[in-house]
Amino acid sequence: MRKGTRSVSFTLNGEKKTFATRPDEKLLDLLRREGYRGSKYGCGQGTCGACTVIMDGRAVYGCLLYAMQAEGREIRTIESVGTFERPGEVQNELAAAGAVQCGYCIPGIVMSATALMESEKDLSDEIAREYMDGNLCRCTGYEKIWLALRRVFDRRAGGSPAPGRSGKGAKK
Amino acid sequence: MKLREFVRPSTLKEARAVLRELGPKGMPLAGGTALHFMRGRTPVTAVDITRLGLSYIRREGDFFEIGAATPLADIQRRRGPRWAMHEICRRISTHQIRNVSTIGGNICRVFPWADLPVVLLAMNARMLVYTGGKKRAEVPADDFFASQPAGRFAGGDILAAVRIPVLKAHHGFGSVKASRTAAAFSLVTVAALLELEGGRIASARVAAGSAIPFPKRLRSVEAALAGREPSAETFRAAAALAAGDARWIGQEGMSADYVRELAEVSLTDALARAAEFARGRND
Repeated sequence: MRKGTRSVSFTLNGEKKTFATRPDEKLLDLLRREGYRGSKYGCGQGTCGACTVIMDGRAVYGCLLYAMQAEGREIRTIESVGTFERPGEVQNELAAAGAVQCGYCIPGIVMSATALMESEKDLSDEIAREYMDGNLCRCTGYEKIWLALRRVFDRRAGGSPAPGRSGKGAKK
Repeated sequence: MKLREFVRPSTLKEARAVLRELGPKGMPLAGGTALHFMRGRTPVTAVDITRLGLSYIRREGDFFEIGAATPLADIQRRRGPRWAMHEICRRISTHQIRNVSTIGGNICRVFPWADLPVVLLAMNARMLVYTGGKKRAEVPADDFFASQPAGRFAGGDILAAVRIPVLKAHHGFGSVKASRTAAAFSLVTVAALLELEGGRIASARVAAGSAIPFPKRLRSVEAALAGREPSAETFRAAAALAAGDARWIGQEGMSADYVRELAEVSLTDALARAAEFARGRND
């Protein structure tokens, strides 16, 4: 093993994995190096949210977390939410609302919204803003992102199921 | 800051022994968010203190005890009577940071813009420091924040918990943080604790931070409040005395005079919030 190499084990998108890493490698760098390229490197200093992943149910910045901190934790990335062919509910609504322009912020937005919906029953604007305040979008001005998220949140609140995968958002 | 090694002790005792042995080559890591920005030429060993049972909030008699490794998000989410800590935690940084950044990390090494030292000074909090013995040493906020607390931990001691007095009826707390954007560092951050009695202010603790080199109590403001009626006029007059305790420093795009005005307005608002709280606001 190369000098300075350590290993870290955690559950990644439901699978137990062990990776070689270095003491100061960032979790984001490890994930991208291992092929989980959905999480983006944006500002690299914990401001923009493009690198957001979920650790033990909480949205965290992959760029401000050493990979070693993930030992024994459960990590989920955007790859666990949906794929291009089979997007998740939030992804469908974002696409349908025209909320995706350059798209760089979207994986992070989806992960923060996912953490919100899993953690809170109350999906009011006030609570939602608390959960979404660590994700920046430089294209849309947020209006369409909020519109899309509101549709998903209201559906959750109303208890109605998500529209089928063939919904208009999935057409591309 | 470069990391040469990363260790995960499983008990507080072990963590202290490791940090003691490493000395300046060791660095306790809780959320770790600040480590990425700290400059230092020599690589350090990160000592992960998040697996030592230091993440909790519980009521212990007249105090709320918050474990040192409790993430800010947990403090922000908690609600309850006579509890006021959520207000400032909501205003610190972003959701993702609040999920990992801890109360201990925010106060063991005080950065000039830090909000929590100011709040804990006003609240008269007590820091419980693990020094190796059975009993944890209790350090009042006034002593803890008298100088950079990091020096206190050079010998391997570890902050274990923060005790915050449960606010009594007629006590009120208010904090105001002025920042350029929601997630930005404070331009000015202030906090006030008021004790009302028979329609008057019996005692006050007021503190400020950011735009001054280090967080501190504003004793002139406190003195000007004691015995007065809690009115907007009293608050404005007291806030105007802050310059006697703190020399405000101009920042990018802001003159020192502007910062002084910002601080005075923030103090007036914090005092009004504290009075409102004392009279029974409950959010």
